[in-house]
Amino acid sequence: MTRLPAPYGSRINRAKPVRFSFENKPFEGFEGDVIASALAAGGQWMLSRSFKYHRPRGLMSMAGAEADTLVQLPSDPNAQADLTPVTEGLKVTAQNVNGSLENDRDAFMDKLGRFMPVGFYYRTFMGPARSSWLKLWEPLIRKKAGLGVIDLKAPHQDYEKANLYCDVLVVGGGHAGLAAAIEAAQGGADVILAEMEPELGGALTYRRGSDAMLHDLLYQARKLPNLRLMTGTTVNGWFEDNWLPLIQGRKLFKTRAQEVILATGCIEQPAIFRNNDLPGVMLGSAAQRLMRHYAVKPGSRAAMMAANPDGYRVALDLLEAGVEIALLADPRPGGSGGGLADDLRAKGVRIVQGQFEEARGKSHVSEVKIAGEWVPCDLAVVSVGYAPMWQLPCHAGAKLGYDEDTAQFSLTLPDAPIGAAGGVAGLFGAEAVAASAQSAAQTALARLGKDTRDIAPVPDSEASLANFELPVNANPKGKDFIDRDEDLQVKDLQNAVKEGYSELELVKRFSTVGMGPSQGRHSALATARTVAKATSRKVAEVGVTTARPPFAPETLGVLSGHHHPAERRSALHQEHIRLGADMRPVGAWRRPYFYGPKTDAKRLIEEEVHAVRNGVGVLDVSTLGGLEVRGPDAGEFLNRIYTMAYKKQPVGRCRYCLMTNEMGTVIDDGVAYRLAEDLYYVTATTGAVARVYSDMLFWNAQWRLDVDVLNVTAAFSGFNITGPKARAIVEALESDIDFSRDGFAYLDGREGTVAGVPVRAMRIGFTGELSYELHCPSTYAKTLWDAVMQAGVTHGLRPYGLEASRILRLEKGHILIGQDTDALTSPDELGFGWAVSKTKPFFVGKRAIEMRRNKGLPRKLVGLTFDGPDVPGESCLVLKDDIPVGHVTSVLWSPTLNTHIALAYVHGDDAAEGTPVTVKCRNGARVTAPVRGHAFFDPDNKRQEL
Amino acid sequence: MPLRLLKYGLSKDYPVTGDIPATPDLKPSYDVVIVGGGGHGLACAHYLSKYHGITNVAVLEKGYLAGGNTARNTTTIRSNYITKEGIAFYKEGVQLYEEMSEELDFNVMFSQRGQLTLAHTEATLRSFHLRAEMGKHAGTNIEVVDAQTVKELSPHLNMDEGGPLEIIGGLWHSDGGTARHDAVAWGYAAQASRRGVEIHQRTEVEGFDIEAGNITKVRTNRGTISAGQVMIAVGGMNYDMALKAGVELPIRCFPLQAMVTQPLKPWLHTLVSSVSLHTYLVQSSRGEIVIGGGSDPYQLYSTRSTLDMKEHLAEGATHLFPFLHGVRLLRQWAGITDMTPDYSPIMGASPLKNLWLDCGWGTWGFKATPVAGKYMAQTIANQKVAPMLEPFTMERFATFDLLNEMGATAASH
Amino acid sequence: MKILTCPMNGPRNINEFQSFGPLKANPDPETTSDQDWARHLFRADNTRGVIVEWWRHVPSNYFFLAERNATTNEVIRTFDPSELEAAQ
Repeated sequence: MTRLPAPYGSRINRAKPVRFSFENKPFEGFEGDVIASALAAGGQWMLSRSFKYHRPRGLMSMAGAEADTLVQLPSDPNAQADLTPVTEGLKVTAQNVNGSLENDRDAFMDKLGRFMPVGFYYRTFMGPARSSWLKLWEPLIRKKAGLGVIDLKAPHQDYEKANLYCDVLVVGGGHAGLAAAIEAAQGGADVILAEMEPELGGALTYRRGSDAMLHDLLYQARKLPNLRLMTGTTVNGWFEDNWLPLIQGRKLFKTRAQEVILATGCIEQPAIFRNNDLPGVMLGSAAQRLMRHYAVKPGSRAAMMAANPDGYRVALDLLEAGVEIALLADPRPGGSGGGLADDLRAKGVRIVQGQFEEARGKSHVSEVKIAGEWVPCDLAVVSVGYAPMWQLPCHAGAKLGYDEDTAQFSLTLPDAPIGAAGGVAGLFGAEAVAASAQSAAQTALARLGKDTRDIAPVPDSEASLANFELPVNANPKGKDFIDRDEDLQVKDLQNAVKEGYSELELVKRFSTVGMGPSQGRHSALATARTVAKATSRKVAEVGVTTARPPFAPETLGVLSGHHHPAERRSALHQEHIRLGADMRPVGAWRRPYFYGPKTDAKRLIEEEVHAVRNGVGVLDVSTLGGLEVRGPDAGEFLNRIYTMAYKKQPVGRCRYCLMTNEMGTVIDDGVAYRLAEDLYYVTATTGAVARVYSDMLFWNAQWRLDVDVLNVTAAFSGFNITGPKARAIVEALESDIDFSRDGFAYLDGREGTVAGVPVRAMRIGFTGELSYELHCPSTYAKTLWDAVMQAGVTHGLRPYGLEASRILRLEKGHILIGQDTDALTSPDELGFGWAVSKTKPFFVGKRAIEMRRNKGLPRKLVGLTFDGPDVPGESCLVLKDDIPVGHVTSVLWSPTLNTHIALAYVHGDDAAEGTPVTVKCRNGARVTAPVRGHAFFDPDNKRQEL
Repeated sequence: MPLRLLKYGLSKDYPVTGDIPATPDLKPSYDVVIVGGGGHGLACAHYLSKYHGITNVAVLEKGYLAGGNTARNTTTIRSNYITKEGIAFYKEGVQLYEEMSEELDFNVMFSQRGQLTLAHTEATLRSFHLRAEMGKHAGTNIEVVDAQTVKELSPHLNMDEGGPLEIIGGLWHSDGGTARHDAVAWGYAAQASRRGVEIHQRTEVEGFDIEAGNITKVRTNRGTISAGQVMIAVGGMNYDMALKAGVELPIRCFPLQAMVTQPLKPWLHTLVSSVSLHTYLVQSSRGEIVIGGGSDPYQLYSTRSTLDMKEHLAEGATHLFPFLHGVRLLRQWAGITDMTPDYSPIMGASPLKNLWLDCGWGTWGFKATPVAGKYMAQTIANQKVAPMLEPFTMERFATFDLLNEMGATAASH
Repeated sequence: MKILTCPMNGPRNINEFQSFGPLKANPDPETTSDQDWARHLFRADNTRGVIVEWWRHVPSNYFFLAERNATTNEVIRTFDPSELEAAQ
């Protein structure tokens, strides 16, 4: 089919042909064509089969909404054929087709409609067996349902996000939007105008006689430096405080606007009659878009149904483009098209009062019945009315009403910095649209504190003519579609009401009306009218279902953008890599698991343990949380935060810290090193430090103590030198600190320099061996590490990883918060009564600990060892009378003790040492072990005090 | 073609079943007034009428039937909980779903395709082991699986090997599944109303008259009625409704958001949930990918949705299945969840003698619809808390007998 | 995205903030009954109207209070915690 001559085809570049295929047949379009226009130009009107009945479907709106125009692209399962540009070599295939689009093997479904009434799936597909739904019916339905096929190997694509700010965001670049943006920008506001179509102008780009006005508006708009024009940009939702996502291709602009002016226009509505879904049946605006944008002649002989002036204009357009008008039906009783009708009659067009009663055709419309007369045609055009684009306003809280006089939805805006202009505000005449736009802009300018001018409202001559409520009567033979996406006919909605689903939301949910890709754009008005009639209510009472974002379908890619999960690394990360460490994720960090090749893990880990027990090892503890608590009230503050007492803690000493929450649950532990009267350096566990820190600040926001807390986790690095030979190493380092046994006792802390690096040294450790923990500013970490490693060469110093550390700590029975504790663990359950002050008047959790203590001990963490063949794993259950009363929290093989050692919760009554308890292994075997203390190795703690 | 559809195909006029009768006038008095016409209230009405012969029952719904959290949840049904009390309860819930279509003669489309929860950290894996051990001990189908098996169960997952979100294992709960949420409520409504239960839509409870520790009257926008027993099951409004009866529940309300994509041909068989990413995905029988996650970060009684949460869920979804980047989102929405401090519900007695609570369902209520209905009905019929529900008493918060279910899945559903 | 006005840093996107829940009275642990203490632990203001709640501006670690309508999400005002002290 040849295209119409220029100036038809504003979007296409005839110098650049584009070849593509549809259903494996070659087609040629032009640069600027969308798939649907190029196919139509090639005589291919059928684009898909419908979802339930497999009826032939084609384009209806050219506005990108209905499921009928969804096509499958190799990389896009659901591309909108009337929005997606053709590109060279693109392979397009049709959806919902079994066999070929022309000869769909499932086309017989169309004949079975009677057997598939609304909601039929709730009444069947239940047998023969209980599992039949899962095993038989659902797989069948899933296969038939769904639209496109996802490309499981879709290549990565880049998406971007950016933030935008403006005084005024104008949504929609049609007449109203342009006029509002110009007015606001002329008034001195910083304005963004976003238009989803590729060019500005909206309906002015295809509506008859709009060229001069469009030209003038564009001229004015483009010379305003404070007006940013964004085309191909969809404002896809409204969120609180004027926060709006602007989507432009693969870019998401998150936009904060002081003021929003909605000039989203309206969407032309289809008419309901039998076979209204045949390809070749389309909206007047679709016919205009095909001609003006793409130079595609929508047919050669048209039947028209026009119930508004736009319909008559479309007829004139069609005539001019060489389309014969077989008949124009105007359904309005006594309605006349006025002067436009006279124009048409003068051109020989026959106009009758009536409506499309039925269409016919195999895979394309071939005749339409009007007032009992079958009119042969290959195009049936309807122009009966519009619905405002209510989605964005409704996201913003606008209320949708219905004006019975003008037969259209009307919007009431919320009390917010939001205005509306033009079609969305129910205005159609050019002067009225312009005045509403200027007025909305002035309202925005006034709220922005700019100078304003008065705009006189202009009465709208066309508003009363634009919409006509065509009576909706179910065709006795059906196939009069209200919702094409979901293959729903008038009777389906009527029957849903009869079943008792009479509230609109229930009609929607039972019938699925409006749930398809077009989200009710073309069905909500007809649905409201149909349900109103079926329930004897007014349309306004029925309303539309809640509009939810997004406005138009948006890709998950554009929403997720370019995101990478963050990972933290210690300052010594590269050193560990150099030493061959197996680095594993631990919370947000990566830590050495052990050093050496993976294949030798078990041996290497045991060697690391032995090195610490018999020689000396070093562990990077930089991930440990570090907090500085400073101020005159620092001691009092720690007294309230932790369970022990800190006010009398001497400077230069370290003390254990146990933190409970208000429920008396243990949430963290660490060590407080008093650096000065008014300064403590407190450690916290890696995973908890962020929360400990914010909890500290939160408490002090209430207590108002004279104290500052600083999270220095990243500022300090640290490593623990541990083992019987640890002192030999630290003493070999150049330092002003006395590391001797007498000069630096267990739990002492010292500040000084080591190898020229400022350090905080503490005699603390997790291994139970003689330990020195050196903390230093992270920038010096490598210098200090190198010095320690150098000093350690002669003593066999070995870096060890997390797994050895876990074994070493478990051998000593030290608990790990989060592993050996859960959301209900009290200090008593850990046997940590010693760490809970009985004399302090208050600390967080004190009262709850006492209340829980009075209730008795429900469970207690104890030590267990396992020597037999069945060894329980972590989380295996401790049973009492076969009822779970606790579980194993930690279990590991101890290379030092040559047995499996574990910590486990047992029933409170069984906590005494020697009591046998039963543990259920993962394989179901029950093993019994006697209760013992936590410390399996060196229970008298001699070694750490060497 | 299933034979039952012949009825429709061969009838001249559409044969009306009449699932939901039109709202009748309120009677002066009912034996039982159920406040809330969601899944829980309707299930209770069904069990009362069918198994306890109590049919003088009014279900009062302020909006349209099952339009609250029943309509908004993402329909996960599972029993992979931690506490033995929770497991026993939810396990029976799953069993009742298995027989629900038959029980209601209404296809609720229970699709037991299994739930796969992913572990990206050793700590998560450890918690999965506890869940698995507790579940296995109670007889549910649940196991910890390794990364290889995860890959086999959901072959298209991005395992992120060597990356910060490497999947190191999973919790496979083959009993898990989904059902058609609306159908559950409608099926119960149809059954209950056939036995004489009255369902009153657009009937809002405005207050209660209380004498000597008993509710005597229920005041509604359509008139005041007498009530023998009263149950509250109003989802996100539970705190507010109980407060009208002078009962202060340990509940805070947060929005919970979800979203759904355009339909696709089936590619995702199981429910997939990631604890670290706070994201879960399931493909519905219509082909849509339903994506959900955690609750909003602050208290709010609103069903507005946010861009932030949508971005977050899209990040999670495209991390797990990178090829989803080109798939389009169709709709997002939210519900109001009534969260308890221990993520377990509050069921049973209240400080008032004839007021029964079915509250605190947070983000996990849908799966309990049948089992809560069953035991709440038993409780109301006997005016004594059913043993199954005893651990869920609101008194547990005074005695520290918490049923800790925190951190259950991506959103504790 | 919602905007919250930090008393120290001015209006910011709400994702810069962390909610710390409704303001609670801090009862005296010495004189409060077990029952009331449990209530203090587990109950929080959840009314559908205006609640007073704690917020943290995360980048600056500043804690403050907001009066916010928990149904409309309207923030009535935000203020420094010293106001509480002054009121006591």
